Amino acid sequence: MHTVSRKSERLVNLTIALLATKRYLTKSEIFNSVDGYEGTAETKERMFERDKDDLRSLGIEIEVGSFDPLFNDEAGYKIKQEKYQFELGDISSTEVSLLSLAAEAWQEASFGDVAQRALLKLRSIGIPSDELSIPATVQKLNDGGQDLSLITQAIAQSQRLAFAYLDSSLKIKMRSVVPIALSTRNGFWYLSGVDQEFQEIRTFRVDRINGPIAASAGPKDFQTPTGFDSSKAPSESPTNSFALIDVRVGKAPSLRALAISTQSLGEWDQVKIPILNLDSLCLLVLWHGPDAFVQEPAELRELVIDHLEALVENHG
Amino acid sequence: MAKKISAPLERTARLLDLVPYISSHQGISLKELAQTFKVDQGQMTSDLTTLWMCGLPGYTPLELMDLDFESGFVTIHNAETLSKPRAISFDEGVALVLGLDLLRSAISPDRNDLLGRIDLLSQRLAGLIKLPSALSATTPVNQEVSSAVSEALRSGMGLQIIYHSLYRDELSTRIIFPIEMVEKDGHFYLSSYCYSALDFREFRVDRIQGAMVQAVQKEIPKSTIEQSSYTATIKVLTPTRAIAERFKQSELAVNATFDFETYSLQWMERSIMASGRAVCLQSPPEVRKSIAVMAQSMLDCYKAS
Repeated sequence: MHTVSRKSERLVNLTIALLATKRYLTKSEIFNSVDGYEGTAETKERMFERDKDDLRSLGIEIEVGSFDPLFNDEAGYKIKQEKYQFELGDISSTEVSLLSLAAEAWQEASFGDVAQRALLKLRSIGIPSDELSIPATVQKLNDGGQDLSLITQAIAQSQRLAFAYLDSSLKIKMRSVVPIALSTRNGFWYLSGVDQEFQEIRTFRVDRINGPIAASAGPKDFQTPTGFDSSKAPSESPTNSFALIDVRVGKAPSLRALAISTQSLGEWDQVKIPILNLDSLCLLVLWHGPDAFVQEPAELRELVIDHLEALVENHG
Repeated sequence: MAKKISAPLERTARLLDLVPYISSHQGISLKELAQTFKVDQGQMTSDLTTLWMCGLPGYTPLELMDLDFESGFVTIHNAETLSKPRAISFDEGVALVLGLDLLRSAISPDRNDLLGRIDLLSQRLAGLIKLPSALSATTPVNQEVSSAVSEALRSGMGLQIIYHSLYRDELSTRIIFPIEMVEKDGHFYLSSYCYSALDFREFRVDRIQGAMVQAVQKEIPKSTIEQSSYTATIKVLTPTRAIAERFKQSELAVNATFDFETYSLQWMERSIMASGRAVCLQSPPEVRKSIAVMAQSMLDCYKAS
C-alpha cells in the first residue's frame, strides 16, 4: 500500500510540475525539484522513464523539447495545459446536459464504465446541467460485450481487421476488412468496411463475428470511400431489381416498411420492394402467410412455391 | 473493452480527477465523493491524504494543495494547476459521440435548437479524439412515442398506445400504466399494466406506433393469471444462420431435433413458415396440421394465377 501511495504521489507531483512550468524542465531539474525521486542517478533515471510511460498510458501527453533552441542542449519536458485539459470551448448548461444524457445512455456494461468516467469529467467542468429540460431518450446503448474500442480505433487509424464471420449458411469464413463505420440499430452493432477480398463496402453484424478480431496495419494508400451513410440500413447496396407483392389491407407492416411505392387494389395493396437478398425476402413473405402474395419476379415466386411445397410435404 | 491499467495508475488517474471534481463541488461530503468515484470511504480518505502531500515543487505550505476533509466535508484550495478536468480519452469520446447520436434520433425534429447543438458537440468531440464521423446510433422508436413514454414514466401517468402485435399482425389501441423499461436480447420493452388485457404485459417499444399520456386509475388489480407456454419440437433439415438466430440455438446439425418454448402459437406457426424448407415441426400436431393446410392453400393460389 505504501509503495502504491508513493508512486501515485510522485506521478501527481510530476504532472503538476510539468503542467505549471512555462519552459521545458530538464531531467536534472526534475530530479532536484520534484518530490519522490530518490536513490542513485541510475535509479532515478529508470524511475523517470517508467513514470513518463505511465503518464502517457493515462493519456497525458508529455512534450519533449530543447531547453534552448540555439544550443544542442539536454532535452527538457513539459505538459501543455491545453492538451492536458478537456477543451470543449465555451459550453452552456444545455450542452452539458446533452452530453450528460449521452453518457447516461450507456448501460452498465464495460463501455458503461468508460461513459461514467466521461460523465465525471463533464461534471467537473463546473457548469450545472439541467437534464430535465430536455425531452429525454428512453433507449439505452449496450456494447453487448463487443470490443467497440478496438473497432473504433481501427476506424480512426484505417487499420485492417481480420475475423471469422458466420455466413448465412452457418459456415465460418475469414474476412479481412478496413473498417469505415460502426453503427447500432435495434440492439445490434454493425461494422461497415472495405472488404479486402472484394474491394467493396460490406456490412457485418458484430455479434456474428466468431472469436477475437485481429487488428493490423492497414493498406498504405487506403482512401475512405465517400458518400457512405452508416445510418442507413445495413448491407444495403443499390439494386435495380424489384418485387411486386400483394399485401392484405392493414396487414404486413414489415413488408410495407420496405416498400418504395404502394398501390391500392381494394382488399389488397400492391407494394414495390427493392430486392437486396432474394432468400431473406422470400422468408419474410412466408412469415406473413396468406396475407402476402408475390406477383413478380418469377424467380421469387418459384422460390416461395418451392418452400411451400416442402412445408406441405414435411408437415402433411 | 478498455485496457486494464495497474492499481497505482488507476489511483493516479483518480487523484488527478478528484482535484477538478472537488474544485467544482466544494463542500461535498466524503461519503458522496467516495460513491461518485466508486471507492469506499477508507480509500477516499487515503486518496485525499495523498493529495494533501502534493503540490508545486518546493512543497512548502505555499505550494501544497490546501485540502480540508476532517469535518467529513471536502474543500480544496490552491490547486489551480490541476483544477480543469483531464482531456477525454479516445474511448470516452466514442461513448459520448455514440450517445449523442442516439439522443439525436430520440429528440423531436422540431427541436432544431437542440439538434443543432448536438451536431456541433459531436463534431467538436470527434475533432478532439481525431475520429472520422463514422459512428451512428439510431433508435427505431419514433420521437413522439419516446417523449410520451418518458413523460409518463417520469410523472407516473398512464398511456394510450397503438401497438403492433407481430404475431397477430394487428394494430390495437390499449390503455396502459407503464412501470419500467427493461432490456432483453437487445430490444427494449415497456413493462406495464394493461387495462385492456387486465394483466401485466411487456410491450416492445419499437412496436408502439403511437402514444399519448393519459390519466389512469392507479390501483392495479392483483393478477394471478399464469401465461401458458407451448413447446415446439423442431427437426433441422438445413442448418442456417437464420434458424440458429431465430430459435437461439448455438449448434445445429442436420436431422437433429431441439425443443423451443414460446408463449404464442401464432409465433410458432409464423416462425416455422418463415423457415421454409430448413426445418420441420414435429409437435404439437395441431400446429403441424395448420401449417400444412395454410401452405397448401397458398400453393393453390399460386397455381391458380
